Amino acid sequence: MIRYAYYPGCVAQESGKELDNATRFVAKKLNIDLIPMPEASCCGGGALDGFDKNLKLFINGRTLALAEKMGVDILTICNTCTLTLSEVNEELINNSESLDKTNEYLSKIGLRYSGKVKIKHLLYVVRDEIGFDALKKMVVKNLNGINIAPFYGCHILRPSTVVKFDDVESPTGFEELIMALGGEPVSYANRTKCCGFQTILVDRAQSSYLSGSAILEAKGKKADVMVTPCPLCHLSLDMYQSAAGKSVNEKLSMPVMHLPQLIGIALGANFAEMGFSRHNVSLKPLSERIGI
Amino acid sequence: MEFKVRSYRFNPEVDTQAYYKEYAIQDFPGMTVLNALMKIKYELDGTLSFRRSCRSAICGSCAMKINGITKLACKTQVKPEIMKFGIVNVEPLANMPVVRDLIVDQEGFFDTIKAIKPYLLTEGENEELSGFKTLKEGEKIKQPVYSREQFKNLTGNNDTPNCILCECCYSECNGVSGNKKYLGPAALAKLYRYSEDPRDNDRDVSRLLNGSKPDGMWDCVHCQACEEFCPKGISPVKAIVRLHEKTIKNSITSTPGAKHVVSIAQSIKKTGKLDEAKVALGTAGIAGVIRDLPVVISAALKGKMPPLKLEPIKNMDDVKLAYKELGLEEK
Ligand code: FES
Repeated sequence: MIRYAYYPGCVAQESGKELDNATRFVAKKLNIDLIPMPEASCCGGGALDGFDKNLKLFINGRTLALAEKMGVDILTICNTCTLTLSEVNEELINNSESLDKTNEYLSKIGLRYSGKVKIKHLLYVVRDEIGFDALKKMVVKNLNGINIAPFYGCHILRPSTVVKFDDVESPTGFEELIMALGGEPVSYANRTKCCGFQTILVDRAQSSYLSGSAILEAKGKKADVMVTPCPLCHLSLDMYQSAAGKSVNEKLSMPVMHLPQLIGIALGANFAEMGFSRHNVSLKPLSERIGI
Repeated sequence: MEFKVRSYRFNPEVDTQAYYKEYAIQDFPGMTVLNALMKIKYELDGTLSFRRSCRSAICGSCAMKINGITKLACKTQVKPEIMKFGIVNVEPLANMPVVRDLIVDQEGFFDTIKAIKPYLLTEGENEELSGFKTLKEGEKIKQPVYSREQFKNLTGNNDTPNCILCECCYSECNGVSGNKKYLGPAALAKLYRYSEDPRDNDRDVSRLLNGSKPDGMWDCVHCQACEEFCPKGISPVKAIVRLHEKTIKNSITSTPGAKHVVSIAQSIKKTGKLDEAKVALGTAGIAGVIRDLPVVISAALKGKMPPLKLEPIKNMDDVKLAYKELGLEEK
């Protein structure tokens, strides 16, 4: 059994609870032991850094130290958590001044970090630890004939000096996963672009244009569904889809799945187990077509 | 090896719409994409138009999209492109209007640079040091003396002064794709650079106020594309985040962007978590929530409303201590 410290991030424990549930379902099927981290805090995304650089180091250094104490690496299911924890990890490993001042804080709460922890997103845990060939053998519901548009988003790919999972210019991990599940990966330029979530409350027009363009392109390429490895992208693409549609003058109704939900249905989960009723854009028609 | 270059073509004087044209050429060891384009221009098709000058990644003229990613043609070798993509597909920079073929109109980009005042503000300051005057017999030139330490935030191999204004970051910037009026990474990184310059006489934080206007620093979507694709190894996004920090530390917090950051920091200080409901309210205010009522209602109906009161994480005091250690308890 593979063991990981499980860092679901905030959204998966709040509005995106279905993502957490789907992840647990998939982990069980794949024999991945997800050890809870009840003490771990929010990573602060890109925002905490803009509030105070050292606060970002301390807060996330604490999370890394907790995992190090548990003796395991961290498994993430959110792009932004993945990047933020990885950025802090790189900084602490490569900058002794940062490590020293973080450890000074950590020593006051009985922790210490030495740089041993790795941060891995579920997508690449499946690729590297389970293997797509092994995954293929576990599929009970083949996604044959379903056009699936992978939406990587940003922080699982960039900056590639920090998150080093895939080829930043032409990533393949997501497409390979879709093919292992029997689906048809849809090729479209926006797959590695921004969903606009960062400015969804700050500049809605900008944000919606980004999500709208991505959904529109996927639709034009005949996608039946978009899938994302990030709950923030999911909010932008699913929850705010009507605003996205308006911004590109198109009525959109593109179902959007979380990555573990896609793996989940292929491994035999039903509609309720994947929490599909919680999505804004209905997954009913697609689920019926797949037969779940 | 013979390989193909597929180029975007558009001449507004004769074409009603853009098209692509393919050229087959022979490579030589170390051939760059710019070498290939020059070979086409000299030997196959003199009408193919593109900018170039230095051929050594210094002038920033030859930026273009190569197989979908913005790069300097003179710094990009043909061989790895062919190995990865089987072709050299060239297109003009994104986020800018096309003038002809691979040449874009750079005016909008340079307007963003002008908007941040890319020069030291000295006017009216210290006459003795900055005014012009004739030296008297035996008088020595007085110059201010700075220490290396004072420049530490704007030097270094990967820092903003190395910018060659090639527009690679601007072309790849997702923030600009979403909002053509957004200042963009190059201008904002430069804004940060001037705000950190000890010689700059910006007494009333006018630079930070200028950058806080709509379409300014808070429109950065954090897509990281500027850092990823900068051919000079600069990270504009990191400079923008430092600009955010500096702006908030200077109490310029009335913009939605700044409120967003502050709400998140406050939420973590309280519960260790990101309180989705409170952060939305703190950023967009009541008016924002009312505007988004359809989204809020739809979320509620789907059972997706975040809990109104969040349980703090275990050992919350540890997180509070981080704020205390950094003197951020009251912020
Ligand atoms: S020709 Fe000067 S940067 Fe390429």
